[in-house]
Amino acid sequence: MSTQDKVKINKLTTGVPGLDEIAGGGLPEFSFNIIAGAPGSGKTTLAHQFVFANATPERPALYFTVLGESTIKMLRYQQQYTFFDPAMLPDSVRFINLSQVVLEKDLGAVLEEITREVEKANPAVVVVDSFRTMVRKPESDMDLQSFIQRLALFLASWQATTFLIGEYAEEELRDNPIFTVADGLFWLRQTAERNSIVRKLQVIKLRGQDSVPGLHTFRITDAGVQAFSRTFGLTAHKRNPPSGRRLSFGIPELDKMLDGGVPEGDSILVAGSSGTGKSVLATQFIAEGTRQGEPGIIAVFEERPEAYALRATNLGLDLETPQKDGKLTILYLRPLDLSVDETMQSILDSVQKIGAKRLVIDSLAGFEMALSPGFRADFRESLYRMIFALTAIGVTILSTVEVDESFTEFPFSTYSISFLCDDIIRMRYVSIDGQLRKIMVVIKMRGGNHAKDIREYEITSKGVVILGKRLTNYQSLISGIPIHADRSALTEEPSLDTGIEHET
Amino acid sequence: MRDLTQRLLAYEAFADKTSDPADSATLRVYEKLRQGLGEFAGVAAFHALAFRALTLARTEVPILSAVRVSADGSLHGLGEIEHRLDIDKVRAGEFPAGEGGIILIASLLGLLLLLLGETLTLRLLRDTWSGSALDDSISENGRKA
Repeated sequence: MSTQDKVKINKLTTGVPGLDEIAGGGLPEFSFNIIAGAPGSGKTTLAHQFVFANATPERPALYFTVLGESTIKMLRYQQQYTFFDPAMLPDSVRFINLSQVVLEKDLGAVLEEITREVEKANPAVVVVDSFRTMVRKPESDMDLQSFIQRLALFLASWQATTFLIGEYAEEELRDNPIFTVADGLFWLRQTAERNSIVRKLQVIKLRGQDSVPGLHTFRITDAGVQAFSRTFGLTAHKRNPPSGRRLSFGIPELDKMLDGGVPEGDSILVAGSSGTGKSVLATQFIAEGTRQGEPGIIAVFEERPEAYALRATNLGLDLETPQKDGKLTILYLRPLDLSVDETMQSILDSVQKIGAKRLVIDSLAGFEMALSPGFRADFRESLYRMIFALTAIGVTILSTVEVDESFTEFPFSTYSISFLCDDIIRMRYVSIDGQLRKIMVVIKMRGGNHAKDIREYEITSKGVVILGKRLTNYQSLISGIPIHADRSALTEEPSLDTGIEHET
Repeated sequence: MRDLTQRLLAYEAFADKTSDPADSATLRVYEKLRQGLGEFAGVAAFHALAFRALTLARTEVPILSAVRVSADGSLHGLGEIEHRLDIDKVRAGEFPAGEGGIILIASLLGLLLLLLGETLTLRLLRDTWSGSALDDSISENGRKA
């Protein structure tokens, strides 16, 4: 069959931010869907969002309420959401209560009542909330299955997109014939992890759609349900080929160590202990970008944007003007109860809003600490997905990470995240001649050459300043307690070499 | 809320010629509310609201204690009270004919307003009554804006 012969399935917006992406572009028109989950998981709110996003006076939505869901109470609360438009009642959105039919009659009568109302209104959307409470009498599963099958056939013929809402526990998913009838099955979960509530959404099936598999975080705010795709909505983007461009730090000596700068689209990790100048280096990276007309984002977790910008001013770096010009955003993220995906979505939204080319995450430790404990387990996985998604579209990411200083080891990070990074710069303290000095070294550059030199640097009023040439008179510099090559000349200043070695 | 109630009653009184003359305007307003809200929220929900409204109205008009709300939400005894007040001129001075019904309907609408808010309540009423009966908006307290 050629492409021309295939039926075109229109996709309807779910009205839930993030869910269209998860569903593979929207919900198939005329599909028969089930929203399942425990009480309080957001099923009704999700259905309302779909209703208000798709109902029109010509093709309204019929919302059938059954036992358990008091319409008045439901609307009392649902109208608090920003998506709820009272003006759409009753012409576009119509609520019909079926309690009496359910209480007094059987499923056949319920089907008749629904049929009657559907024939009268010709709706585009039908919701039954909750269909599980319709089974009042000790009927077999077959009765409900038969009811669902007939309802599905009828509503598809009437060109209605349908949601059935049901309270189901996880273990009921297996071998349940009800779910085989549905074209789409959306499962909402809500679990308590330590002091936090973690909400996850899964599209278990969605016929004819390339939905994003896995569990997606969602949140219920005053705007309703908001879902956060595991792929951050970037599945539609093709991976940009490497541009070959190098991005400058604005520190010529460091750019030389990086063989011209950070390759565009790389993820670079700046690791070091407290006070080594990681944030200063990150600020210089962003400031140099904005100076060159490249919009940037700084995501900070440990200090407020005003303080961050003021510190930059003290280094002679102007972060105020690019902020006013819309070329720089400093995001202050202390989410506490947010999931890592939500936090990363905030970063992504900002990146896309200003077309950022450079992103600084300062710092990963602060980022993780700002998350609620229940979400920390997902931190590395989500970070990986975000870095992959952003670098794929050409954003260069600089992350800082605090490393516990050890004088016996030279760890790159405490997070085992170095595999996420294309490039690593390590900064550390070193004891030389009775002084605590600072050294930096480029540990790795996935894209090619870099200097192997260990360079001493200082943090001055101009930011990070790399001093002289590489240190040559010391052994075990990276241990932090170097041994002078000539023990007879312990009091001399370290000599400096002029050469920069490159990998070939 | 009383203003809205009186507008609805006036609307139904005007339509009296086409209605069953045995029904008062109050009963017709109540019956329309029962039908509309019953379909929207269910019979049980309407019964609960009507019973509460009647209880509230009785505190202002004790004679309403003779009125009953049945399980399907229908109202019994209001017509008889109004008829009695028409005859008993002394009590009519105390509770003018129709006053009990007005307070009952106003209480019912007040409950809806409390639970659903003004906008949604008016949208629902608009499904039963045409715009002309509801033209004037009401404030949060049920008075004309």
